[in-house]
Amino acid sequence: MNSASQMLDALRPFLVYFALVIAIVVAMLALSWLLGQRQSRPAKDYPYESGIVSVGSAHFRISVHFYITAILFIIFDLEVVFLFAWAVAVRENGWAGFIEISIFIGILTVALLYLWRIGALDWRTQTQRRQLHSLQGPGGVTNIAPETGGRS
Amino acid sequence: MTLLFYSAGAIALIATLSVILSSNVVHALVYLIISLLSVAVIFFALGAPFAAMLEAIVYAGAIMVLFLFVMMMLNLGQATEDEERAWMQPSLWIGPGLLSGILLLLFVSTLLTHDVTLAPVEVSVRDISLLLFGPWLLAVELASMLLLAGLIAAYHLAKK
Repeated sequence: MNSASQMLDALRPFLVYFALVIAIVVAMLALSWLLGQRQSRPAKDYPYESGIVSVGSAHFRISVHFYITAILFIIFDLEVVFLFAWAVAVRENGWAGFIEISIFIGILTVALLYLWRIGALDWRTQTQRRQLHSLQGPGGVTNIAPETGGRS
Repeated sequence: MTLLFYSAGAIALIATLSVILSSNVVHALVYLIISLLSVAVIFFALGAPFAAMLEAIVYAGAIMVLFLFVMMMLNLGQATEDEERAWMQPSLWIGPGLLSGILLLLFVSTLLTHDVTLAPVEVSVRDISLLLFGPWLLAVELASMLLLAGLIAAYHLAKK
């Protein structure tokens, strides 16, 4: 069949890419297996805690505070789908499509600005936000704790 | 393409079965990602590359990352695993199993009695793009409004 060989031709870069990915992964795993040390001592799996045997379980529940960031990520991810649909046929869509996608991005930029202003992208907890204040340093903004009795 | 369809279908079935049967939540989620990716391959084999891309980006990429994120945050330990294993008894799965069985019977009987043509129709991403930004221009605009509402609502509902 002619179309099969044509398709194979079209897939060739993809197949080379696939083979390279597999080769790199195998090489990394094999090298770490060959070069790495393998010891099994009774204390091997213990978490190091200054020589003291650790007490209690590490299974405590972390605040689901960061969850909001992940939800926001999903919605912006959906925006990418529309952008992708527009981008594959930029010329065919013409100016109407361009204006359309500009309004689309505009509305979502407004959403992003709103979320930024109300502090939705700030994932510090309330206590951290109260205790720390930001300081404009030479390398950007640093959050430092105020001295006792200082401004908060 | 037929081979692709059947192998992806087989992988989807095995992965989904593993999602149901595995007692470790994180393992189940990784199987769910494999299942969604193989469904994306099925969409591709049926001639719907845009749906395949959506499946990979939105479901496997974003929603599964969210699930995995939350599961790792919750940091469920051995106790939850034992609980999951204890839930794997017939009295609990027989109800949903029967209902899904009825659905499967209906589906198979419809396929057998009615004359359904399953010839795949190739719909390229370009066609969808021209439709979305042509006649359905307003729908995209409404979608952006919906996303805006979703963003704001998600923050305020999850806040407290």
